[in-house]
Amino acid sequence: MKTKNRVYITSTSSVSCAGNNNQILFQNILTGTTGIKQDCKYFFNATPAIGKLDTQATFFDTLILECQKVLEQSQLENYKKTLLIIGSSVGGMKTTEDIYIDTKEYANINPDKHHIQVIANCLNEVFDFYDDISFSTACTSSANAIGYAYEVLSKGLYENVLVVGADSLSQTTVGGFLSLGVLSPNPCKPFDEARDGMNVSEAIACLLIETVPKEGSIEVCGVGYSSDAYHMTHPKPKGEGAYKAMEKALKEANLTTYDIDYINAHGTGTEANDSAEADAIVSLFPHKPYVGATKSITGHTLGAAGALEAIISSMVIDKQMIPANHALESATNKEINLTNELQDKKIHYVMSNSFAFGGNNCSLIFGNIK
Amino acid sequence: MTSIRLEIIESAFVYAPQEIDVLNIKNLVPKMMTRRRLTRAAKISIYLSNEVSFDKGRIVYGSSFGELPATASILNAISDKEPISPTHFQNSVYNTAISYLSILNKNEEELITISSGDKTALNVLKTGAVKALDGDTLLLLVTETLNIEGIEKVNTCGQYLEYGVALKVRLSNEKPTLKYSDVDEDSTVPNSVRAMYNITKQCRRDKVNIIEVQL
Repeated sequence: MKTKNRVYITSTSSVSCAGNNNQILFQNILTGTTGIKQDCKYFFNATPAIGKLDTQATFFDTLILECQKVLEQSQLENYKKTLLIIGSSVGGMKTTEDIYIDTKEYANINPDKHHIQVIANCLNEVFDFYDDISFSTACTSSANAIGYAYEVLSKGLYENVLVVGADSLSQTTVGGFLSLGVLSPNPCKPFDEARDGMNVSEAIACLLIETVPKEGSIEVCGVGYSSDAYHMTHPKPKGEGAYKAMEKALKEANLTTYDIDYINAHGTGTEANDSAEADAIVSLFPHKPYVGATKSITGHTLGAAGALEAIISSMVIDKQMIPANHALESATNKEINLTNELQDKKIHYVMSNSFAFGGNNCSLIFGNIK
Repeated sequence: MTSIRLEIIESAFVYAPQEIDVLNIKNLVPKMMTRRRLTRAAKISIYLSNEVSFDKGRIVYGSSFGELPATASILNAISDKEPISPTHFQNSVYNTAISYLSILNKNEEELITISSGDKTALNVLKTGAVKALDGDTLLLLVTETLNIEGIEKVNTCGQYLEYGVALKVRLSNEKPTLKYSDVDEDSTVPNSVRAMYNITKQCRRDKVNIIEVQL
């Protein structure tokens, strides 16, 4: 890829179980205040720990509010020249579930409220976007959306992009991950010897991405994609696909491994993911940059995770603070640099990893422009 | 408005009123255990990628409704208060079809999945065009698999329930020879597939086929 323009995150907004705005989210990450709670509503007799939004408004009204916040923070008058890129794994699945469970009939289901496009349709009713596109690659959906934003802006094809990562909880996701036996009844413990699974959760994360930096902007320096070509739900055991995505992101950003100060790991807390990701990090990064996983605080927000963790990575750079891994007691892999304490150090570049079903891998690199 | 020209190197499509039965899947996927796990969309994708002679490289895939049969099975399980099948769950994500395709072909390149409602095929074309600027050959693929019990109560997508279109493309500087059209010339075609289907219908094996994609 021949890069032309530099690309910047200029305005962001988020809502998750760990906070109804970015500041609360990051404060909770710094203090280790989790938004994950046990919940028995979603599936039969099971009580997995999950992360639910704590908002008065509906999910779709909240979605509109978050995009409005980004617009108000920006220097744009409107979104008329903005490409909207959605990243979501379930779209309107909860709406479909509610109707079907109630009536056991397809007749009352509106197809346009079911598919992934429902999110873009909802926003198009309120804002006037230049165009929209929706990505759905399971848990890498919004990471891929940011990657695509980087591509189209660096190639000079659009003026600016609004990336929206959005996924709501549904019985499909909670019950589905339960069926795979990977949900923990407690806040997850990424990379810990005692890890016993993940927490699914919901979130909305919005990022305005432009080619002209504003005060406080964070640069999107590169993206790397790969596929495991191995298994639908299990990563390659030694993390070869993750390694390749991280390596490609470094190459695209014209950086070396030594430039990376912090890796925001995918770190779900499952046996398979954490083991493979840790091996990939150890193999690629000889200088042992700090590694952290925030899903013990936010849960795994599925298709929204890439966007939410891009915001967290941006705040790590902006605040120059690397959060502690609060849930960590004893790391399985002692060769990765997981810190138990807040690190106050100079941070130039942060890598953020997202991995998904089907062996879909996406690594993003963010940089400090101060 | 920016435009990018693509050469359609090879193209293929397949459809059926209910279930496509020409997929040659036993030959393409000899291992029975692997074959049994494949979704309908995965089988169509494997068939079409073979038709256009594409095994490794970047793929842009699209589907408006994704893996509807797996989704319907999950919905029924939830409604009946039964456990969800792990296989149905892992097969319910929108990127299932090309994930199986990548596993089969040991293709470790970038795979992206788009679900943009009626604009799905058009957005696959646009994304493919953006990616083709990097200089490689890509597979653009779109499928819909709507053949579930009771679909007639909710189907607004067209008369035929299974559709798949594949375009093998690369960047071109030649003048366009094909016209982009989303006109509904054939009511059997789901809207989400139409933009690529209409291109495929125009392609001539004895000529260079070029399409201009407007972003």
